[in-house]
Amino acid sequence: MAVNYSAKEEADGHPSGGVGVPGGAAVGGGGAGKTRKPDNTAFKQQRLPAWQPILTAGTVLPAFFIIGLIFIPIGIGIFVTSNNIREYEIDYTGTDPSSPCFKCLNVSWDSTPPCTCTINFTLEHSFESNVFMYYGLSNFYQNHRRYVKSRDDSQLNGDNSSLLNPSKECEPYRTNEDKPIAPCGAIANSMFNDTLELYRIDNDTRIPITLIKKGIAWWTDKNVKFRNPTGDGNNLTALFQGTTKPVNWPKPVYMLDSEPDNNGFINEDFIVWMRTAALPTFRKLYRLIERKDNMQPTLQAGKYSLDIAYNYPVHSFDGRKRMILSTISWMGGKNPFLGIAYITVGSICFFLGVVLLIIHHKYGNRNTSADIPN
Amino acid sequence: CAGEENWVDSRTIYVGHREPPPGTEAYIPQRFPDNRIVSSKYTFWNFIPKNLFEQFRRIANFYFLIIFLVQLIIDTPTSPVTSGLPLLFVITVTAIKQGYEDWLRHKADNAMNQCPVHFIQHGKLVRKQSRKLRVGDIVMVKEDETFPCDLIFLSSSRGDGTCFVTTASLDGESSHKTYYAVQDTKAFHNEQEIDALHATIECEQPQPDLYKFVGRINVYHDRNEPTARPLGSENLLLRGATLKNTEKIFGVAIYTGMETKMALNYQAKSQKRSAVEKSMNAFLIVYLCILISKALINTVLKYVWQSEPFRDEPWYNQKTEPERKRNLFLRAFTDFLAFMVLFNYIIPVSMYVTVEMQKFLGSYFLTWDEEMFDEDTGEGPLVNTSDLNEELGQIEYVFTDKTGTLTENNMEFVECCIEGHVYVPHVICNGQIIHDCTGIDMIDSSPGGSGKEREELFFRALCLCHTVQVKDDDSVDGLKKSQLSRRSCIYISSSPDEVALVEGIQRLGYTYLRLKDNFMEILNRENNLEKFELLEVLSFDSVRRRMSVIVKSSTGDIFLFCKGADSSIFPRVKEGKIDQVRSRVERNAVEGLRTLCVAYKKLTTEEYNKAQKLLQNAKLALQDREKKLAEVYEKIERDFILLGATAVEDRLQEKAADTIEALQKAGIKVWVLTGDKMETAAATCYACKLFRRNTQILELTTKKIEEQSLHDVLFDLSKTVLRHNGSLTRDTFSGLSTDMQDYGLIIDGAALSLIMKPRQDGSSGNYRELFLEICRNCSAVLCCRMAPLQKAQIVKLIKLSKEHPITLAIGDGANDVSMILEAHVGIGIIGKEGRQAARNSDYAIPKFKHLKKMLLVHGHFYYVRISELVQYFFYKNVCFIFPQFLYQFFCGFSQQTLYDTAYLTLYNISFTSLPILLFGLMEQHVSADTLKREPSLYR
Repeated sequence: MAVNYSAKEEADGHPSGGVGVPGGAAVGGGGAGKTRKPDNTAFKQQRLPAWQPILTAGTVLPAFFIIGLIFIPIGIGIFVTSNNIREYEIDYTGTDPSSPCFKCLNVSWDSTPPCTCTINFTLEHSFESNVFMYYGLSNFYQNHRRYVKSRDDSQLNGDNSSLLNPSKECEPYRTNEDKPIAPCGAIANSMFNDTLELYRIDNDTRIPITLIKKGIAWWTDKNVKFRNPTGDGNNLTALFQGTTKPVNWPKPVYMLDSEPDNNGFINEDFIVWMRTAALPTFRKLYRLIERKDNMQPTLQAGKYSLDIAYNYPVHSFDGRKRMILSTISWMGGKNPFLGIAYITVGSICFFLGVVLLIIHHKYGNRNTSADIPN
Repeated sequence: CAGEENWVDSRTIYVGHREPPPGTEAYIPQRFPDNRIVSSKYTFWNFIPKNLFEQFRRIANFYFLIIFLVQLIIDTPTSPVTSGLPLLFVITVTAIKQGYEDWLRHKADNAMNQCPVHFIQHGKLVRKQSRKLRVGDIVMVKEDETFPCDLIFLSSSRGDGTCFVTTASLDGESSHKTYYAVQDTKAFHNEQEIDALHATIECEQPQPDLYKFVGRINVYHDRNEPTARPLGSENLLLRGATLKNTEKIFGVAIYTGMETKMALNYQAKSQKRSAVEKSMNAFLIVYLCILISKALINTVLKYVWQSEPFRDEPWYNQKTEPERKRNLFLRAFTDFLAFMVLFNYIIPVSMYVTVEMQKFLGSYFLTWDEEMFDEDTGEGPLVNTSDLNEELGQIEYVFTDKTGTLTENNMEFVECCIEGHVYVPHVICNGQIIHDCTGIDMIDSSPGGSGKEREELFFRALCLCHTVQVKDDDSVDGLKKSQLSRRSCIYISSSPDEVALVEGIQRLGYTYLRLKDNFMEILNRENNLEKFELLEVLSFDSVRRRMSVIVKSSTGDIFLFCKGADSSIFPRVKEGKIDQVRSRVERNAVEGLRTLCVAYKKLTTEEYNKAQKLLQNAKLALQDREKKLAEVYEKIERDFILLGATAVEDRLQEKAADTIEALQKAGIKVWVLTGDKMETAAATCYACKLFRRNTQILELTTKKIEEQSLHDVLFDLSKTVLRHNGSLTRDTFSGLSTDMQDYGLIIDGAALSLIMKPRQDGSSGNYRELFLEICRNCSAVLCCRMAPLQKAQIVKLIKLSKEHPITLAIGDGANDVSMILEAHVGIGIIGKEGRQAARNSDYAIPKFKHLKKMLLVHGHFYYVRISELVQYFFYKNVCFIFPQFLYQFFCGFSQQTLYDTAYLTLYNISFTSLPILLFGLMEQHVSADTLKREPSLYR
């Protein structure tokens, strides 16, 4: 790009420091007052250094080629990285009559015992590094405004007065039978409650795979935003005294988990759910599968089976439920778009460069004086 | 009843609050305001409500207030803070700016209202604050003090009852003006005497015109009938003027406080709005439509989408009971409002503030420009309003005055012609110009005996017929000095022509010394002192275009000398060598000289007495004094004997031709509007390259219209122009338009008024359209013999023509004010003819040549900057809000916001308004030098 540096030196006879007039004339001028002559500074005279790209064939063509040559390799690199990420997705909604979960399709919240189903699947490739296990929902409007605001953040932060008197925003999930709901609101009420278990089938024996349920929430959420109510002792049951469970929940909030640092409001499954998704089709982290030793992949290729305790009804709103297994790379999860975008832009630039080069080569000599002189 | 009417039109003032002797007239108590000047808009108490009210009258602010209120009332996606905060910011910034300005005004008011004033109470001098002054108080003002209110001048320390005043702060004229004390009171020199004065003053109610005043003073001597004296503007000392060269004066306050002429003149002018601002408002309307349609679309789609119950109320997201019960239409309307709130950021809240800041700060670059600073006068450009900056970059028509704008207004006496004999004040010998006061070069044959007499009469006429003052540097031996060295005296006058004439005559041997006790003293060629008693001055005005004096020579003869424009003198002449003089005048006019004709008549005593009586009556009239005076002048000034003519050169301003050429290259049409003669004006136009040698001149003058009918002339002209135009388009197609013929049109005031006059049958537009059509095809137009109002008429005609071009008017004198106010952009030249033009203009520049940089560089920059600024504002808000609109499709049209609240708030007021403000101040897409070199870039 041609850079036109038009900073002007004070070459036009005015000394650069010559500001105004000597003080004597200004003070002693009987009645004339001080002169209004403006200062000769670069700023006031609009002569600050400046540059401006001038688009000519000599600058535009190399620019196109350079952009093309830089973007295409970057795009390829990103695309390959994204392709190396292993991802496996199962839809277990059971809309298809042949699906093992078809029987659970019209399940309700309070069916006891829960409807369970098992889906078998085969991983073609092994998953080398740590595997993240997600559940995915479709057509679920977690971003609906009425839904998004239906929560009480101060209650979730452990504020005792909000605990017993939740915000109005939680309506109609604020109270139940004259008792305040903890946690209140539509989001908490509709918390995802399917239980997923993963088994590797090795010669017809089901070997359970360890699923880690901690470390799936944001650190700030877990430690700052969400806190259990404070009070005497650590007995959550006592602390949540006077509140009632959300209508759809089978158990109260203080019985979500056995471990005290993953119970109550700071239960990580709960925290993950409370962070609402931006789009109606979303996935949320469910569990972590850590690589045990360096010799073996986390999940080797082979047969697996997924046990589902099917509690969460989605059929009424035409929704879908999925289970996703995925590894990650330095650039996050599987995302072929970025690489493709880079490659496309790079290719277009390169192509335009070639076209312009041909045009320039053929017709370029006709009119070279059209540039605005600067 | 008549009495009441009288009360409305005029006021009666009792000097020193003494009631008139009983039985004279019914005592009508009148209440006058005190002498407090209030230029501030707000008081401490009403600032907040009044300022808020004024701000919310602005449509954008009101819109955001409505949005804010909607947010408060209904359940909306964003909290009221997100739109309340930017609004508060904008309102606060504006309020602080206006409050600060008002505080400055308060301070100035206070300083003015509290400055001490001396006035007389019971024969003693008392000091009081200015604001306590009341109508009827007798005030004493010392030298170099400003007058605290409008005063009737009673007496001064000078024996002749005059005082000198400069009105620099009123109209910018720094010359000393002479004011005259009332005849009957000028003898009172101390406090006791003045306190004994028993008089009433009747005068008109306050008017804003600085130069007009009519009144009457009745002085009561003992028990006699009162003596009435006329009062005119020469007796009225205006607030804001400064007393000079006079030790002290006494005066009686007649207008105080907000009723003084100065205060009446400070009323705000009507606001001019720039084209960009207008288009900005149009954009806002378009955006409002976009906003409403977006909200409508979303509302409709929402209800279509929600028609399936599992979408409206899935099990995980139930409505509350009241929500369910709400009326469907009410719900839809609330949803519509909520969408409006959601998308309201598409209207840029901070645009007005940013644009205003850009204009205000940007205008400093104009005043800081060193190239536009004039070293001679020490003046730089002034920006009176920064609202019109960008208009400077879109000018299509420039209307310029000639005298003082294109020309220097630095007059030099060139020659005089007495009955056809030409006299030049300096002898040219061997190519050298020798200034010799006695040398007279006679081109024609020496005049005979009667010629000699006429010649002397001519010189005396020029010496006497003027309103020039002699500035006495040292009042004691001023006379001596000027006697010793003739050239030492300095002449001061409001008209530079007069000074040039008096100085020129001095070089021809006749020196005007001074006016003393109504006697004008002149020194003739033989160094003898001649005294003429000045009886009357029939002062100059632009309608009559002439002035006269009536003097009585030492021998007792009464002469009336008159000088004025040829057109106003020739019809009144009954004898004299008219033809020779006329041909000489026309020749001089072609050379671009300003000519004046001089004539005289001898009055008998009876004639004079009659005239004097008429004048006195007219001067005493309280109503329509101007009209009556004009009638009387008309009666007196007739049957002249022509003496001769003078020629004064007015040089072109430096680089005037260069500037005009550049403007024409920039595609700007330059029109010259002048009150001068056609020949003079045309010569100036040739000199400044407005007309070139190959320009074909089309004339639309009274003379031509006399020959043919106006209809025929107009059609002929339009045919000529349009034929050329047809060939021009062909030429441009074949690329041969280089040597195109250009046309110049000359039109005079009388012809113009014929064109502008609506015809009987009502089809008035016809001629105007034709005229406009002709003008549009002429590269230059010269309008001569224009009255000030006609200038404004022309500007208005072009302004309202169907292309709505942006017009600029530039001028320096009071006669240009009307056109400066009429044009889109008015530019005043800070010139010699006072500052009236500069005061009424939007921008003032020291010289005509500065117009080039002002338009080509600054105007261009301002226009590019502001248009990018405004476009960016709309662009960025579309960019900001469109994703929001799209997101509604993914969140079930539930008005969920895509952005965080803080981001929504700050996006408009800081993230995207500060960077562009900097850009809008600094951007130079082409360097200033290139713009100056290539005027065609302006198009």
